[in-house]
Amino acid sequence: MARIELTHVTKRWGGFYAVDDLSLLIDDNAFVTLLGPSGCGKTTTLRMIAGLETPTTGKIVIDGVTVFDSDAGINIPPNKRRVGFLFQNYALWPNMTVYQNISFGLSNINEAGLSVNENGELIRNPSAGGEARKLTKEEIDKIVARVSAIVKIQPFMDRYPGELSGGQQQRVAIARTLAPGPRVLFMDEPLSNLDAKLRLEMRSELQRLHLSTGSTFVYVTHDQMEAMTLATRICLINNGVLQQYDEPLTVYNRPNNTFIADFVGNPAINFINARGTQQGDGSFSVKILDSYEAKFVPTEKINVAEWYSSAEKEIAEFEAKERPAEKINKDLPFNYPVATVSDTEKEQRELDREDWVIGVRPEFIRISDDGPIEGEIFSAMPTGMETTVRIRVGNYLLTGVVFGGVLYKIGQKIRLSFAGNGAVLFSRVNGRFVCCGRVDIA
Amino acid sequence: MANETYNRVSGFRRTWNRFHTYITKPQNAILLALGIILTVTTLFPMYTIVRDTVRLHPGSIDSQGTALESQTEVMGKTLTTYNWKNLFTAKITTRVGRERVTRSVASIYLWTPLINSVLISIFACFGAILYGGVFAYLVTRTNLKFKKYLSSIFIFPYIMPQWTLAVMWQNLFNSNAVTGGNDGLFVALFNVFMPKWWCEGIFPVSVVLAIHYAPFAYILIGGIFRNMDANLEEAATILDTPRWKTFFRITLPLVKPAILSTVLLVFSSAMGSYPIPHYLKLSTLSTQYVGMSSNRAGQASILAVIMMLFGFLILIVNQRITSGRKNFTTVTGKSGQSSLVNLGAAKYVFSFMFVIFTLFTGIMPIVLFAVETFLPNPGDYSFLTYGIAGHTTTKWWLTAENVTENGMYGQKGILYNSDIWRAFGGTFFVAVCCALLAGTIGTLIGYCVSKNRRSKWASYVNNMAFLPYLMPSLAVGVAFFVFGSGVGIYNTFLLLVLAGTVKYIPFASRSALNSMMQLSGEIEEAAIIQDIPWWKRMTQIIIPIQKTSIISGFLLPFMTCLRELTLFMLLCGQGKIITTMLGYFDEMGLYAFSSGINLILIILILVFNTIVNKLTGASIDSGIGGRS
Repeated sequence: MARIELTHVTKRWGGFYAVDDLSLLIDDNAFVTLLGPSGCGKTTTLRMIAGLETPTTGKIVIDGVTVFDSDAGINIPPNKRRVGFLFQNYALWPNMTVYQNISFGLSNINEAGLSVNENGELIRNPSAGGEARKLTKEEIDKIVARVSAIVKIQPFMDRYPGELSGGQQQRVAIARTLAPGPRVLFMDEPLSNLDAKLRLEMRSELQRLHLSTGSTFVYVTHDQMEAMTLATRICLINNGVLQQYDEPLTVYNRPNNTFIADFVGNPAINFINARGTQQGDGSFSVKILDSYEAKFVPTEKINVAEWYSSAEKEIAEFEAKERPAEKINKDLPFNYPVATVSDTEKEQRELDREDWVIGVRPEFIRISDDGPIEGEIFSAMPTGMETTVRIRVGNYLLTGVVFGGVLYKIGQKIRLSFAGNGAVLFSRVNGRFVCCGRVDIA
Repeated sequence: MANETYNRVSGFRRTWNRFHTYITKPQNAILLALGIILTVTTLFPMYTIVRDTVRLHPGSIDSQGTALESQTEVMGKTLTTYNWKNLFTAKITTRVGRERVTRSVASIYLWTPLINSVLISIFACFGAILYGGVFAYLVTRTNLKFKKYLSSIFIFPYIMPQWTLAVMWQNLFNSNAVTGGNDGLFVALFNVFMPKWWCEGIFPVSVVLAIHYAPFAYILIGGIFRNMDANLEEAATILDTPRWKTFFRITLPLVKPAILSTVLLVFSSAMGSYPIPHYLKLSTLSTQYVGMSSNRAGQASILAVIMMLFGFLILIVNQRITSGRKNFTTVTGKSGQSSLVNLGAAKYVFSFMFVIFTLFTGIMPIVLFAVETFLPNPGDYSFLTYGIAGHTTTKWWLTAENVTENGMYGQKGILYNSDIWRAFGGTFFVAVCCALLAGTIGTLIGYCVSKNRRSKWASYVNNMAFLPYLMPSLAVGVAFFVFGSGVGIYNTFLLLVLAGTVKYIPFASRSALNSMMQLSGEIEEAAIIQDIPWWKRMTQIIIPIQKTSIISGFLLPFMTCLRELTLFMLLCGQGKIITTMLGYFDEMGLYAFSSGINLILIILILVFNTIVNKLTGASIDSGIGGRS
């Protein structure tokens, strides 16, 4: 049972808030990814949980044990937290062979209730009592044999890290981390130094590893694809502030705000500015793409007035938060990109409650002869499995994905429509998620 | 906030918990301890000199002038500004030739030496940077010939004792007619009499200092030339920038930080140098301090204080520079080989010039020292001029009994002279102790500071350890002299080791800090996570990985200690260590003995350097080439 609980954790250097009041609950056996752009505080968060960094305030509990509490002055050092940590650059000890790298930590364990079972798994049960002892050479050999078999590095045991390829070094690092049987495994962008093909391979191996070890994985990445494919839950952070903590598909389909909608998904979501009001039937009559009258039909009931009042209350609460130092890395509203052919002048008016932005994922843009919107192919990038097209509508550009090897000519006139119930409506005033729904063009 | 859900604990308990967490990290505990120790060992001796300037010294002018001499009970207690007042305002009458001239005390004891000190420091900086910088450029950026030979022989003058070149200058240019004393080689061989300004005073002192410290410039500037990303220059070349413009607008600004470091280092070292102005007869702050008669002891301390102030000034300037935004020494290249400038036929000219010149500065002193020990009388080069091999002698080496004839003054030959070997033993002992202590402490500081980069205390400890580096050696020597006399450990190995350790810690801490900064913190964190204890992380991971630079950190204090005179000469009697013994033989006129000792010392240092270099890859030059 390794459940990790973060309560109001903040890490700041002077007025710079690396992590700003983060509360998070990571379930036992979960595979949680901390996702966000570089410099958002995700690595700091991970290092704080592992104990390599000391939070400024807050409380961290691992497996029921409070490992950090600023109020009580508790700070259990990382070596006593019994966690595993996989570093971005592997941090293999260059002066030791692969075998020594893996066994070094094991040769050092000295406690009561140690045993190694037939599979080569280290069992640590200090409550069993008995004399504190070290592992024997045979026991260490057994464990090393097991973990090196998992990552398939048995042929390299006598080599030095410098004599291994990047992928092999990565495997050694994993084996070294697994050897003492940690309850929790922290990984800091472990795949970012590998080439694309190897990364894909290691990704699937990590997934298998998670299944076979049954430990809790916390994984830092800036690669949204990695987060989507691996995680049971994604924790999205921006500027030190938690943006969303949900299952991958929820994050993808119902992003909390325009930042998340833009960050998750490749090719990126299309943002379409819209202006209009909610009608009696709950739908929104809006004008989009300069010349189209459209209707946004929500999939769930939504009352705009109520929604605004609750959103504003949350924002006010966030801003009213007491801070010992003013946050110099301010939380600015996310400036979502609207793709256009040529630069247009920014609208100079104040936004109000009738301003919306509709997010349409590329897979919901359908090219068909009976589509209501007229467009022209701006560029087409076929990969064989699918083709990513950019379509020009007036001065705007929309990105779509068409499955199969369809060939388009650049400049070719097409017609398109928005398919399905996957469109997302955000308020332009605060960038927050309002509802999901369908876009009908009149 | 949800604070009330927290487990509230008492304030004391919380503070204790925090302190416990802090102190259980080895790097914090070590920093705390070292910070306190270094504060005492560095600042306390300095404080004692400052206090010495306002203290009453029995039998000296301050006690006479204040008429407190007879009152023995106030001696240790009363403070007086007499020494300061007298130094700056009093006049004394001296005899110049037949006339009696009245001059102010300050001009004799303070202004003249001070101006000389500053002048030789400035000239030495210029000379060292010009000579070392040009050499660095030629070696790293052009297709000069014999690079390997040249670059190793170029640093010889730094490895050798300071006075080597000064003595060699004397042996070359002195003449009985101009300077008095023995005729030098130029007179003996070519009958050329060099003018007085060439033989003594500011000119030769500046030249010798410049040659001695040029290796600093070569190592620091060359280090940047070598690591500089060649793309920076190539980018300019592609834009069709003329070569000279590339050099002045791109290359030179990039080495500016190294030039500044060299300036500071050479300036403070030149300022505190004693042997060179001593041999070449120039009155500087350091020679004046030593030459001050004992009844002006308090005023001598004022000179030391002034030297210390220069040290502080340099430290402040150094801080300004290294913390500036335009600090681009870290511009290191990913692109491998840069194209070398083709010197054409000039490469042979340059190479030939440097080979000849380094022969004079690197090989010649050794040969000359060796030859000196076989001359029957100092300066008697008759075996060369007349070509008679019989005009040489081995008596200086091999005399095994106590004889007073043959100009031996009752000394046994070098090989049989137990005093000399005891002094060598003393030097060796001090050097080993200093190297072990300074190397260990410096390495620990480098490690701890790199672990606590943001901490103010860490940077304080680092600065405290660094301070003696930019302090003129003599000022540090004086500080420990006053301190040592005060606590009654004058003329003990303890005092020598203490002074040496404090002065040499920066060598080790700099090279350790540099290398530790390059070591990713994750390397150690990977071990922390696995609950590997601190000493095991150090001995099995950190030290093996960084062994080259750590060994440099031990090697450099050792080498420097072997040939140190300025720092130690005030701290012990003449027979204690070999470098002070040299002064004794010089005073006795037994120049063959000092030449022999110099020869042994130089060869010893070179042999050590080579052995360590071959065994571990560490070398003196890799140790100097760093930044704080």
